[in-house]
Amino acid sequence: MSYSTFNRKRFDSMKEPMFFGENVNVARYDQQKHPIFEKLIEKQLSFFWRPEEVDLSSDRKDFQRLEEHEQHIFLSNLKYQTLLDSVQGRSPNVALLPIVSLPELETWIETWAFSETIHSRSYTHIIRNIVNDPTVVFDDITVNEEITRRADSVSKYYDRLIEMVNLYNTLGVGTHTISGRGDIVISMKELKKALYLTIASVNVLEAIRFYVSFACSFAFAERTLMEGNAKIIKLIARDEALHLTGTQHMLNIMANGRDDPEMAIIANECKDDVIHIFKEAAEQEKDWSRYLFKDGSMIGLNAQILSQYVDYITNMRMQAIGLEPCFETKSNPIPWINSWLVSDNVQVAPQEAEISSYLVGQINNDLGESDFDDFDL
Amino acid sequence: MTLTSNSQSNDDQETILHRVLWGEKQLLVSEHEPLLPQLERAGVFVEYQCREGYCSSCSLKLIRGHVIYPTEPLAWVQSGYLLACCAIVKSDIEIAFFNN
Repeated sequence: MSYSTFNRKRFDSMKEPMFFGENVNVARYDQQKHPIFEKLIEKQLSFFWRPEEVDLSSDRKDFQRLEEHEQHIFLSNLKYQTLLDSVQGRSPNVALLPIVSLPELETWIETWAFSETIHSRSYTHIIRNIVNDPTVVFDDITVNEEITRRADSVSKYYDRLIEMVNLYNTLGVGTHTISGRGDIVISMKELKKALYLTIASVNVLEAIRFYVSFACSFAFAERTLMEGNAKIIKLIARDEALHLTGTQHMLNIMANGRDDPEMAIIANECKDDVIHIFKEAAEQEKDWSRYLFKDGSMIGLNAQILSQYVDYITNMRMQAIGLEPCFETKSNPIPWINSWLVSDNVQVAPQEAEISSYLVGQINNDLGESDFDDFDL
Repeated sequence: MTLTSNSQSNDDQETILHRVLWGEKQLLVSEHEPLLPQLERAGVFVEYQCREGYCSSCSLKLIRGHVIYPTEPLAWVQSGYLLACCAIVKSDIEIAFFNN
């Protein structure tokens, strides 16, 4: 069964499952099987922002004044986030649009991926503003081993699903002999399983993988450094929290079986695989923290604190999709991050964050050696 | 036990208070605002992020009792859980935090 961009069959789209039913024909939203996806679209549209709205002129000066190991932390995180959003800006479209069967979900996938492209554009905006030659930063993403190792983990489930769906759309179900690849078995159950694991892996990407970078960006901003960057990261974090809700809904709808009974069986069978995906991602993020801080830590953050934070959010995200937490850490080691992640006060006006005289209760960081002359311990 | 009291003399409306229990601790809360800010004012740390019902960071276990949502939250609320940022407590409730 090959994909059609306008399916001519007559069917009741309210009776279709989320995926692997009929290809969507009419993009209609007057009736919705899962109205949550329409609500997510509206919320995402209300979040619309452009990176150019955020002024980064003081970030350039801040960046030049950072210690070398702090520049390493900052740039490495930007590279990693660039990788993650490069994947997320295209993969939901390439992997999921050929198999989606509900118009509201199809449009949510497109809206979701589009917002990721804004994130990618914002990394270019940041990098262009703080370094003279952005090429040096971007070119490292495909050769830096610490990053490419993660690229493999975040793309392998997507790639497998895309390959299987391609074979299914051209050759249908059955065992296919592909030159250079041997026999590949395509069955509906295996396709659905590949889909479920892909959604789980995306959930983990958006739930855990971004947060080490977020923590570092906000730790710089706590010292009133790289504040323009922190404003952009705040906007990205707000979008990511919404995308995360989207994949959590997909996983929970699949697991409860009301949408597609076979999916509930698959969700149950894949439980250990999903736990493995969570654990693997958490371990990789802890390795990443060690890589970031290999030459020195920064005020308020080190590899150990970040690792505890990874454990903590991994537990939280597992609980959100009905899994038992798998790490010991039970409290947030960096509770201050929440006031940066909160989205109701996203502000882009410079006077709100950068000019200390505008703020009440601001602590002045401009201290010289002589300020401590009369200070005795 | 749900209490009623006249909180302010210039306010004709009765304030309905409910008891929130967790472990050995308890707090009286009103129906005027969601649970999260009331817990925070009492000095209780609750994980949060969006504070408008789409991120599910403030999800807490609801062991017994009844809460309502004035507008349906976007986040998936697991059965047996509540979203503190937008849940209005409507009866005495018992909750459990993620860390206990």
